[in-house]
Amino acid sequence: MPGNGFVYATYIRTTAEKLWDALTQPEFTRAYWYGAWHECNWEAGSPWRLMIPDGRIGDSGEVLECDRPHRLVLSWRNEFKPELKAEGYSRATFELEPAGDTVKLTVTHEMDRTDSTFIEGVSNGWPSILSSLKSLLETGKALEGTSRWPAEA
Amino acid sequence: MADLTIEDTVYVTYIATTPEKVWAALTSSEFTRQYFFGRSVESDWKKGSPWTLQMPDGRIDVKGEVRESDPPRKLVVSWTVDWNEELRKLPEAVVSYEIEPIAEGVVRLTMTEAHPTPIPASLLEGGRRGWPMILSGLKSLLETGKPLAIPVPQPPKQD
Repeated sequence: MPGNGFVYATYIRTTAEKLWDALTQPEFTRAYWYGAWHECNWEAGSPWRLMIPDGRIGDSGEVLECDRPHRLVLSWRNEFKPELKAEGYSRATFELEPAGDTVKLTVTHEMDRTDSTFIEGVSNGWPSILSSLKSLLETGKALEGTSRWPAEA
Repeated sequence: MADLTIEDTVYVTYIATTPEKVWAALTSSEFTRQYFFGRSVESDWKKGSPWTLQMPDGRIDVKGEVRESDPPRKLVVSWTVDWNEELRKLPEAVVSYEIEPIAEGVVRLTMTEAHPTPIPASLLEGGRRGWPMILSGLKSLLETGKPLAIPVPQPPKQD
C-alpha cells in the first residue's frame, strides 16, 4: 500500500487477553504510548478518543469493530494538528492471533488517499509504541522515553 | 544506494540493549540459531568477504557478500537465496541493518531489504512474513535472554 497505508507485525510473548488489555486500558497505555490513554467503552459504534498527557484530545473517531481479544477496528482522525485533521479519517485495525508461545499483533493503519502526511507520521510512531508495548509485556518495563509525551509534538 | 534500487521491505524495532549487543546478535551463530529459524551465520564480516546463512541441516539457505561493515552501527550484505532454483536465479537483494542508540539504553534497529530490480510481489511475501518473526525474536532474546517459540513458517510453494 504505497503512500496510503502502513502495516506492522510484532510477536509478543503473552496471551491475547493480556495484549488486548495492554492495548486498551489506560494503566498500560500511559506506560508505553508516550503517556497517552484511551477514553472509550469499547463497544462497536461508540466514540473513541486518544487523550494526550497535557489534556488535549490527540485523536478521535469511532469503534467500528470490537471483538475482544481478536480484532479491533477504529476510525481515527488527528485532532491536534490542523494539517493532519484536514486529511480526515483513517482506519486502524488491530489483529491478535496466537502463534506458538506468542501472540502475533498486526496493526494496519490506512487512509483512502495517497501521500498522506498523517500515515507517514503514524508509520514512524507505531514501531516505537509497539516495541515498547512488547518490552512492557515481556519484561515488565516499557522502553526508556516512551512514558512521556515528546516535547516537540 | 544505487539509483535503481527500490526499497521493498523495511522493519524497524526498538530494543532495550546496546548497539554492541545488537551487532553480536546479527553476526554470531550462537545468537542467530536462537531467533533466525535455527540458522547459523558465517563470515569474518569484513567488507568484500563472503557470508552465508546455513540451515540447521547444514544446507546453505542464503549467501552473499559483505558490502559495508561498520560495527556496531551498520552492516550491509548482498543476499541470494540458494536453496531454491527459482530464487537462485533472481537478481541479488541487498539487506541493510542500521543500529542507532536513541535513548538511554534503547537502540533502534532498521532492517531494509532492497531489490536492485523489481521482483514479483509473491516472492517478497516470505521476507514480509519472516522479518517480523525474526526481529521480534531478536528483541526478545536480547531483552529477556529467552528466544520466542514461533512455529517455523513453511517455505513458499514451488509451482
